[in-house]
Amino acid sequence: MKIAIKLAYRNLIGAGLRTWLNVIVLSFSFVVIIWMRGIINGWNRQAKDDMTAWEIGGGQYWHEKYDPFDPFTLSESHAPVPEELIPIINRGEMEPYLISQGTLYPRGRMQTIIVKGINPKQDIFLLPSQKLDTLITDAIPAVTGSIMARNLNITRGDRMMLQWRDAGGTFDATDIVITEIFSANVPNVDQGQIYISLENLQKMMNLPGEATIITYRDGHSPGLTELDGWNHKTKQELTSSVDELIKVKSVGTSVMYVILLLLAMLGIFDTQVLSIFRRQKEIGTYIALGYTRRQVVGLFTVEGTMNAVLAAIVGAFYGIPFLALQAKTGWTMPMDTSDFGMAIAQTLYPAYSAGLVIMTVIVIMFTTMIVSYWPSRRIARMNPTEALRGKIQ
Amino acid sequence: MKRILLIITTLLFTVFVSSQNADDILKKVESNISSDNRIFESTMIINGARSSRTITSKSYVVGDKQSFTEYLSPAREKGTKMLKLENQLWIYSPSTDRIIQIAGHMLRQSVMGSDLSYEDMMDDRKLTDIYSSKVTGNDNIEGRETWILELTAKVTDVAYQTRKMWIDTERYVPLREELFAKSGQMLKRTTMSEVENINGRWFPTKIVYKDLMKQGGGTEFKITQVQFNQKIPDHIFTKASLKQ
Amino acid sequence: MIKFLLKGLIRDKSRSRLPFLVVTIGVALTVLVHAYIVGFMGDIIEINARFSTGHMKVMTRAYEQEMNQVPNDLALTETDSLLSLLSKQFPSAEWSPRIRFGGLIDVPDENGETRSQGPAMGLGIDLINPGSAEAKRLNLEKSAVRGKLPSEYGEILLSENFSLKLGVNPGDKVTLISSTMDGSMAFYNFIVSGTVAFGLESLDRGMIIADISDIRTALNMEDAAGEITGFFKNGFYDNDEAIAEADRFNATFSDNSDDFSPLMVSLSSQGSLGTYVNMVELWTLMISSIFIFAMSLVLWNAGILGGLRRYGEVGIRLAIGEEKGHVYRTMIYESLMIGFAGSVAGTLFGLFFAYLIQKYGINISGMMQGSAIMLPTDIRAKIQPVDFYIGFIPGLFSTVIGTMLAGIGIYKRQTAKLFKELEA
Repeated sequence: MKIAIKLAYRNLIGAGLRTWLNVIVLSFSFVVIIWMRGIINGWNRQAKDDMTAWEIGGGQYWHEKYDPFDPFTLSESHAPVPEELIPIINRGEMEPYLISQGTLYPRGRMQTIIVKGINPKQDIFLLPSQKLDTLITDAIPAVTGSIMARNLNITRGDRMMLQWRDAGGTFDATDIVITEIFSANVPNVDQGQIYISLENLQKMMNLPGEATIITYRDGHSPGLTELDGWNHKTKQELTSSVDELIKVKSVGTSVMYVILLLLAMLGIFDTQVLSIFRRQKEIGTYIALGYTRRQVVGLFTVEGTMNAVLAAIVGAFYGIPFLALQAKTGWTMPMDTSDFGMAIAQTLYPAYSAGLVIMTVIVIMFTTMIVSYWPSRRIARMNPTEALRGKIQ
Repeated sequence: MKRILLIITTLLFTVFVSSQNADDILKKVESNISSDNRIFESTMIINGARSSRTITSKSYVVGDKQSFTEYLSPAREKGTKMLKLENQLWIYSPSTDRIIQIAGHMLRQSVMGSDLSYEDMMDDRKLTDIYSSKVTGNDNIEGRETWILELTAKVTDVAYQTRKMWIDTERYVPLREELFAKSGQMLKRTTMSEVENINGRWFPTKIVYKDLMKQGGGTEFKITQVQFNQKIPDHIFTKASLKQ
Repeated sequence: MIKFLLKGLIRDKSRSRLPFLVVTIGVALTVLVHAYIVGFMGDIIEINARFSTGHMKVMTRAYEQEMNQVPNDLALTETDSLLSLLSKQFPSAEWSPRIRFGGLIDVPDENGETRSQGPAMGLGIDLINPGSAEAKRLNLEKSAVRGKLPSEYGEILLSENFSLKLGVNPGDKVTLISSTMDGSMAFYNFIVSGTVAFGLESLDRGMIIADISDIRTALNMEDAAGEITGFFKNGFYDNDEAIAEADRFNATFSDNSDDFSPLMVSLSSQGSLGTYVNMVELWTLMISSIFIFAMSLVLWNAGILGGLRRYGEVGIRLAIGEEKGHVYRTMIYESLMIGFAGSVAGTLFGLFFAYLIQKYGINISGMMQGSAIMLPTDIRAKIQPVDFYIGFIPGLFSTVIGTMLAGIGIYKRQTAKLFKELEA
């Protein structure tokens, strides 16, 4: 075996450019596959982290009538915060928010929006809620996201009228002042909505102490699966859309890996076929020296597979610095992604796991081995004396 | 001290009297406008942002709780009927031959695209039951002396927290009304004119509604014919009559 | 001489078969992967185009401002003349009017009283007219679950989930309650012709689709439409062209002082799709470059291998007196022929497979049970004009370069040693 490896190595290096072309293409497979899967893993992680930090925390309790797709349910989907949660909320491990509908009149236009009331002192979400504590005498401070701000063509400091109907149906209106515009990668917390302080919204709606959604801090589940009138939504349920997106992207990109591998294998296959064709005398000699046919097939298979080993080394040579750099600086899309339709950051940080690297290496090695073995089977059918004479068979 | 007490008593008395007055005024207005029953034909001109439309209809009303309206023109709306019993509302559309109950958020839709919502039409509670009122001043509208009444909601389930009404001091007919949000923001304005004496009642025959949050030139409602205290058969106020 | 070389290649299969196969496979893979990446990356764009944005869209300026609220009171009027103007002056795209509307679907019981009711998002399209491509565009035929597509006026399609929620079946009568262009309440009866499932939660919740002429009658929108969508006739979104067409239209026909004058916007200037379009272009470029580069290396290698394969033959030819330059040139000519033939065949194969994936898609719906976001259930390739020649870069050039490099060896061979080599 040792000799086989040594021989294979010599043969490969001796072939010069031919080998290096194959090796470079194959090394692409390593690097590109690891990189792309890393990006997808990173995206998955980042999307969930962003959702955790902006939208869902560690999980939520939804009022049983709350339906995010049907704004008409909002007038009914609120209830007093359950007693048992109040001490947890006071500790800051949970945050209630109240959701209602309103109409905003920016620059004389009319826009139906969602108004969310949130505790200004909360620190479960990254939302700049402390800006809701800004002191303004004749208007309510509000914050909104950058997508919303762009759609409405408003900037920080703008004042506009907000109209709503309270729980009893009474019309009410007030001015709001945008005290902060945040930029989040989670469109669900941005599009079509503004935030004001929970206290203000409860007062405005005439719903003291009520909430629509109660979120707990990541990793601090109160462990109450059943709460009367509230549906528990775990983080896993709430991020299932990300999982699905990632699944589609994984399936979709794996087609590309297959084609990339096919490409590399095409080169190796071609090389193997030629080797066996040109090196008949050598094969004859091996057999004359007492190698069994199987051993010779093994020799050629090792030689072909050695391509993958060299490719791994070459790939590591430029791939490790590249992948490390990517993981550190991220892959920044040269464009503004703030108004993307999904949770996607401007910069994606690929995340590689040992499992990912090992899997990729195993798959590529194994494929290369099969492709190297395939043409070598011919050797087993060769007549050694003919081969020795170099007769083409 | 005595003086102060006197002043306070006088003040209280004045307030009492004026609020009493305001309620009385409202009651008089209500008894003037509403009758046991009435039949009227009306024309509604809706001045939209892009075009104007004219809709005519005939209505049968008994008290505050029952009303039945049949649309006469344009062709598209002809035969559409609307029945209101207590706090329920049904619409019959002849093209579909269906009776549909209007409830929930559908009540917030505008009536025929006008500046009026179904909800505006539906609230049949007496103003004096849901608002406390006081006279806050006097005004002159097109040569008529008026009291200005300010109404503040006593209950929580009203659309408009406050209203301002201008009541003709002589005829007890409202000439103008403004509806406000809790914050004081004016939302709708109604102007009543062409007050006529019909069967001994003073009755405004032209009403202009303007939803201030809506573009367009408002909705003009004109009563072209009105008869009071007619005999209206009971079967009109049944769902069966919608389909006839 | 070309004829002679060609005959040689055709008759001596060992000279041509493997190199040709390698080039063909390589080129086919390149074309396929390019079409696949474009399709895969652009799926969200196409889905959005078909269901919502069109490649271009004409609306009134006022409608455009509040597009997400489907303000039909701000709809385009006199759409017939606008349509004929568009198809005359902007013939690169097919134009069709659409009306989006919200409303309720009300299901009667045997007495005509409401049995069930649910909020619906409606779409009125040119559905029944046999010349219309709208049904195909929305993939209605394949999305059908029960019943059939509307073939007569007065028929409506409901999303499957919605129909189950309401408890209606094909053949049942339902009433649409919506509001007309003037804001008046609108009622219209439909017969449910069938149900569809798009696999997109946002559509499957409460989508209803009917012919636009029914919707026009229902909503009092004769000769009006919320929007006129344009789709490029070649079927693919071309951002630069869409922007150019929109600019051309707006320069002549749009009056920015009139809220109700028509305005054309490209797909990329609607919502957040612009950034996505840019991203797709970038990713596509990057990934295709990697592939084409890798492919070039493989074919280069194939060229070298091809040269080596014929080591003995070249030796004999030199030995019998053929000039080195001549041998070298003929080998390059041959590689040109093989490269060309392989590229043509490869492009054809690649396009064929890409077409299959474009037409039938790779179905991944089995993995997508209960999807909650707007995701396609099929991965599709998308053939673009560039796919017709992109394969030639590695196919022709790399093969020839490989042969050129391998052929240099010819000049290094010494005639004196030739026979010794041949003996061995």
